[in-house]
This record gives sequence, structure tokens and C-alpha cells, in this order.
Amino acid sequence: MIDPAGLASHASPAFLADKVIAMTSAISSRALPYLGYGLGLRVEHYEALLANPGKVQWLEIVSENYMVDGGLPLVWLDRFRERFPLVMHGVSLSIGSTDPLDEDYLARLAALAERVEPAWVSDHLCWTGVQGINLHDLMPLPYTEEALDHVVSRVLRVQDRLKRRILLENVSSYVSFADSQLTEWEFIAAVAERADCLILLDVNNVHVSAQNHSFSSLDYLRGIPPSRVQQFHLAGYEQGEKLIIDTHDAPVSNAVWDLYIEAVRRFGRVSTMIERDDNFPPLSELMSELDHARALAEPLLRDAA
Amino acid sequence: MSSLQSIQQQMLQAVLADRAAKLRAIRSDEIAGAEDRLSVYHHGYRVRLHDALKNEFTGLQCMAGRRFHALLDSYVKVHPSEHYNIRWYGADLPSFLDETQPWCDKPQLAEIAYVDWAISTAFDAEDERSIGMGDLSAVPPNAWANLRLSMQKHLRVLTVSHNVGAFRRAADAGAKRPRLRRFTRARQILVWRKETTVHYRTLDRDEWHVLSAALEGDTFAAMCGRLANHHDEAAAMSRMVLLLQRWLEAGLIHGWATD
Repeated sequence: MIDPAGLASHASPAFLADKVIAMTSAISSRALPYLGYGLGLRVEHYEALLANPGKVQWLEIVSENYMVDGGLPLVWLDRFRERFPLVMHGVSLSIGSTDPLDEDYLARLAALAERVEPAWVSDHLCWTGVQGINLHDLMPLPYTEEALDHVVSRVLRVQDRLKRRILLENVSSYVSFADSQLTEWEFIAAVAERADCLILLDVNNVHVSAQNHSFSSLDYLRGIPPSRVQQFHLAGYEQGEKLIIDTHDAPVSNAVWDLYIEAVRRFGRVSTMIERDDNFPPLSELMSELDHARALAEPLLRDAA
Repeated sequence: MSSLQSIQQQMLQAVLADRAAKLRAIRSDEIAGAEDRLSVYHHGYRVRLHDALKNEFTGLQCMAGRRFHALLDSYVKVHPSEHYNIRWYGADLPSFLDETQPWCDKPQLAEIAYVDWAISTAFDAEDERSIGMGDLSAVPPNAWANLRLSMQKHLRVLTVSHNVGAFRRAADAGAKRPRLRRFTRARQILVWRKETTVHYRTLDRDEWHVLSAALEGDTFAAMCGRLANHHDEAAAMSRMVLLLQRWLEAGLIHGWATD
């Protein structure tokens, strides 16, 4: 049943429509599995990973890399699908854009999800373009009630289209907006609660944005509801002249490892992966980083148990 | 217009502008001013588009050398990306080079760009079945005259006036840049994919004429007729058999039909 008290504070027609969509959709609210410790799948490591998967328990693919008609990308995808649990991570959903949702994109994403049968599908809490132009970047949103209503309504529509709950990742940002009324963590928590979606918490991105905007990364973690966190990303950054730049092309920093410990303490057992997007080291280096994550998290989880 | 729309449109214009600007909607603080903050996105936009083009146009990079960066700059400046997947950003680069000064003064640049893009699109084109010699043995002897071949949809034939294939081969092999040569007569480069590997080669003149007939949906009799312009009757028949074998082995033929 629709809760009238809940509606009173969000009485916009858009919100009412969202609520109806949410209540009539066939989206499963079943808990998603815990996958352990994984890596982002990149071409540079295809052969090494199949030859020696080591202790890598699952892989995250970049959805757009496989939203193609045929050829080698899909051959590799099928090989990995036979060997590993996969999750899909997109960069082009543009959930915060004021352009209409791209139906062609959603159709291709849905078709890929049908082929891959991933444990889950994620993208970023951001916008990537507007007026039909794509910036191919994870552009931050102003944290306003207007943006919140807008994003929630679109997440509900995407989840309805994909017939599954999605995960949204916090992005690193370099700008903040004079109009913002909420903190970033209040905003992402509100999106998750109102749209009934999940959170992919990029621990590196929390650190980068905290440094760039002078907020406490611990306050951030404390503001995120544990029940919504389904996945962690760990990555590296580059110290710029004034700002920290999220390059995802370096080893995980000590500051991010420290924050990861705090995240494990707060959120418990969460599927964790190392995400490297450039300056690729040998696979063994990423496996060592993954071992380090395991070595930090498992004693805490055992103690907690 | 909503304030969210307004902010997004302002940021879009600021990123696309030649120089990073200052926006009132963005906060400045003691760490960095709004202009410095916005410049991260302004710079990142160009780096990402350049990287995407470098991945797809390796032959062009080999040919353009030190001018490659300026060439990409001029394309990025007038071509915002309209596709959600950055993989498609280079689709208009070949025609841009064909039509835009000063690049169109050197037509070899557009020629190699078309070849690069054909290779790129063949790489992840739709998978299609290829027929073999065994499939063609099912064609009844009296039906061969009216046999029509359907070729792989991703197959491309590109006309070039320069030795652009040598530049792509050099790029693929990480070899030294070859000398540019202009042909006395235009040639055709065939680009296709067999299973998961993309190939390219220069077509013989008679092969191009016969392949064109096949691509246009002509009958086997018409294809043989085109060969008759190059060879006497006996030589034409043996040449046709040779070409057919070559195409079958290369996986160029998707299927066949008779009238």
C-alpha cells in the first residue's frame, strides 16, 4: 500500500508516478550474493587471468566494452563468463542527466545483462552529457532536492526496464555547487532509500572528494546506510598541484587502505575489488593488492563474527 | 528551464569552450578556485577523446607523425561526441579529413583514416556464418549461371591513391614510418574479418571488378563476364575458380542463392 504520510513530504506528481512504478514493478528485492575479492576485467590481463586466476573470485566488466555486435570482445566475454562470476559496471547510463534516458542504450544494456547474467549491474551517480552531447566523464550533480527527485525517478525507471535493482557508485569530484542543499553522503543515501537501489562505494573516490572539498571521509562513511552497500571499489589517484585527481592508474594509497579498514568496520562483509583503468601493471601486482585487501578485511570480519 | 538543466548546460558549454571558464554556480574555496576546478573536466574531456582516437587510428598516427595531435585537436574542436559509447567517436574523422582544410590538401590522410575505421568496425561487427567449398558443392550444376553470392556485411572495399596500407602495416608492427608513394592508378584495399581476426590486403584489378559484381548482387555468369574483360575465356574460368577458392578460404562469403 502507498503510505500517505510518506507521500505528504514529496507530493510532486513525478514522485507519485515514481511511487506507483516502484510498487507495480517486477523488480526482485532478493538479497544479492557476496562474491568475495575480485578485479576489474581489462584487455591487458585477459590471457594472464585465464592462465592463472589465482585467488581472484569474481570479475567486473565495463558494460560498454561488450555492447557490440560481435567479434573478439564477446568471445573473450564468454570465456570469462564460464570461469568467473561477473558483474556489469557501466559508464554511460547518465542517470543524473536532464536529457531523456537513452532507450537504445538501455536496450543494449538489457540485452547484455541477459547474455551475461551478472550478479548485479552498476553505474555511477552522475551525469555524462546533456543536449545530446556526451562528455564521457562522470560529471557531479548539485545535491539539491530537485536533483534528488530527478535521479530517483530515473533510477526507478531504469530498474523497471532492467527488472533488477541497480548499484550506483559515488564519483570523485573536483567541483561543488553553490546551490547544493545536502552533503554528498546525504544525497546518495536518499537516492538509495527512495529508489530502493544499492550503493557501490568507491573508497578511493570518497577519499579524493573528501580531500578536494574539505569534508571528513569518516563522516561520509557514517552517513551511508550499511544495508545499501553491495560492493567496494579500491583504486589509486594522483596528487595534482591543488586537487587530487582520480586517475585509477596507480596502486591503492595508504590513506585509502586506512579508509577501507574503516569501511569494513562499518559495512561488514562487502564484495571488494581493485579497479585499475590505466598504467596497467602485471596481473600479479593487482593480485597482491587484492591479497592485501583480504588480509586487512578478514581479521576484522572474523572479530566481528 | 530547471536549475539542474541550467547547471548542466552551463557546465557542458564550459567544458566544450576553447578555454576553461569560471562559472558562478561552482564554489571556490581555499583549496582551489572555480576556474581551476572546472579545468580538470575541461582538460580531461580532450584527453579522453584524443585517447579514443589514438586507439582507432593507428595508421593515421603513423602517417601524420608530429601533426597527428593538431589533427585530432581540430576534429575535437568541431565534433562533440554524440554517442554514449566513446568507441564510436571516430566515425566522422575520415570524412572530416576528406572535407576540411588543411587536411583535405593531403588526401592520403583521409584514405588511411577510412582504412583504419574499416578495420575498427570490422573488429566488433556482427558475427556471420561463412560458407566453405562443401556448401557450394550443393549448387546444382545447371544453377551456377544464376548463382548469387552474399558477402559478409562488414566487408569493405576502399579506393586509395597512395600506399596507405604500408602505413597501417608499419603501425601494426611498430615499424618505422614508410615513405609515402602515390600510385599512378588508384587501387582497392579489401578489409574483412575471418572469425575474430581482421585482415586487409590490396585487391588485384580483375578481382576488384568481380568482387564488385558479387557485392552488387550480380549472378555468377555476370561475374565471369567481368573477368572476360581481363582474360581470354579459358584463363577467365580458371581465374574465377581461383578467386572463389580464395574468398571461401578467407571467409568472405556468407551464403548463396539461385534464381
